[in-house]
Amino acid sequence: MFYKEYLKTRWYLLLMLLTTSGFAGYGLLRLHRVAAVNGIGHAWEVMLMHDVVFIDLLEYVPVICGLVLALMQFVPEMYHKCLKLTLHLPVSHLKAVNQMLLWGVAATVACAVVNYAILWGYMSQVLANELWSRILWTALPWYLAGLAAYLLGAWIILEPAWRRRIVNIVVAVLVLKVYFVSEQPMAYFGFLPWLALYTIALLSFSWISISRFKEGKE
Amino acid sequence: MNSVISCQHLTHYYGKRKIYEDLNFEVPEGRILGLLGKNGTGKTTTINILSGYLKPRSGTCQIFGQDIQTMDPALRRRIGLLIEGHVQYQFMNIEQIERFYASFYPGQWRKEAYYELMAKLKVAPRQMISRMSCGQRSQVALGLILAQNPDLLVLDDFSIGLDPGYRRLFVDYLREFVKAERKTVFLTSHIIQDMERLVDDCIIMDYGRILTQQPLDTLLDTLHRFTARVPEGYDVAFSDADLFHPSVIRGTLELHSFLSSDEVSARLTANGVPFSDLHCESLNLEDAFIGLTGKY
Repeated sequence: MFYKEYLKTRWYLLLMLLTTSGFAGYGLLRLHRVAAVNGIGHAWEVMLMHDVVFIDLLEYVPVICGLVLALMQFVPEMYHKCLKLTLHLPVSHLKAVNQMLLWGVAATVACAVVNYAILWGYMSQVLANELWSRILWTALPWYLAGLAAYLLGAWIILEPAWRRRIVNIVVAVLVLKVYFVSEQPMAYFGFLPWLALYTIALLSFSWISISRFKEGKE
Repeated sequence: MNSVISCQHLTHYYGKRKIYEDLNFEVPEGRILGLLGKNGTGKTTTINILSGYLKPRSGTCQIFGQDIQTMDPALRRRIGLLIEGHVQYQFMNIEQIERFYASFYPGQWRKEAYYELMAKLKVAPRQMISRMSCGQRSQVALGLILAQNPDLLVLDDFSIGLDPGYRRLFVDYLREFVKAERKTVFLTSHIIQDMERLVDDCIIMDYGRILTQQPLDTLLDTLHRFTARVPEGYDVAFSDADLFHPSVIRGTLELHSFLSSDEVSARLTANGVPFSDLHCESLNLEDAFIGLTGKY
């Protein structure tokens, strides 16, 4: 199953990694420029006094990447109802769907880990622990939103009926708004475990679409 | 003879539109059964129910003795499925798709059967499925089924989109495979001539019901077209459940029936039809189909 998912998404995953890393790198370039022009002390000051995180351009990038990944992975399954082929394989339907989702989740998490490694690699050299960890904690809800966008995208695309799909899109927008309620750095810090659980719960949504597909809803 | 497929009391509606009610049929082991019906009579609905992609409003379907809705996933190893339009994963090439499927059927996968058919296509091993014609795709789909080597093949409208050459290739390969290995096949097709070359038994469906299910030979031996002269201006004004779709064209009465010539003659007389010169003709499957379902 992973081989099939790899064939569908390999080029996009490379693009996703380059895009998110590019945005992360651009954020670091902004920090570097401020430090080079005004001194690193000024960079520390604006972070503390004006809540600047330097990587704010990255905010919606994981969401867009998650949605596009869902499109790349599940549109080919719904094209001419190819999903029937997948569901006819001699494995349980739950396992087949979970393996497909696991591929997407693993790819999204791997991309986030690479981004974090890039951010940490530079920031830990020039910023105090408290400052770089503040930036990384601030970015975590954005990456969770990317994961949520992927799972909600899968739920929407796998839904067999167009009318229901529109309802799903509205619900998905409302669900995603939760990840962007506040732009204040560290605003989600105490809420992150709940936000993570909330994101994991979205894994089950695709099963609703698959069950409806199996019932022949159109 | 054991039944590989058994459907009992199937009823299905799309919204308020009845597709069929209390449908019952069985597919015996080692037989090729063709499902014939006009558009909208529920052929694809039946295939979808059999494949587990549609839950009927009521009734049960069993394959190899297991209910389709709760079937053990491992049992799907024994079922080959061809989806309408020869749909396959567009993003794979000929080699990738073989490698992908082979991993799900350890011990039963016959790679050489697939590549033997692919060699006839004269396409590069890395040719993407998305860049193939419908005919080429049909051979990929068939090759994958032959490699899977299932005990039961469910084929939905296998002739759709195929030119006569590919249709013939498909039918010949399929017939050789199922006859040599005693496979069971349940199929539908719009091209009735293909069915005649392939099937042992047929089910002919009309809107909401099965008109007949019997071996093809028996059907073609027993169903006949009858023609007779009738006076100018005569119009059909009788109804008899055993005389199918009587019509008059230019002074010739035409009808179809399983009855003998003598019995048809007696029925026409009993119904007050002023006929003469009654003729009885044998039919091919397409004529039999039209005879039972009507032209309209």
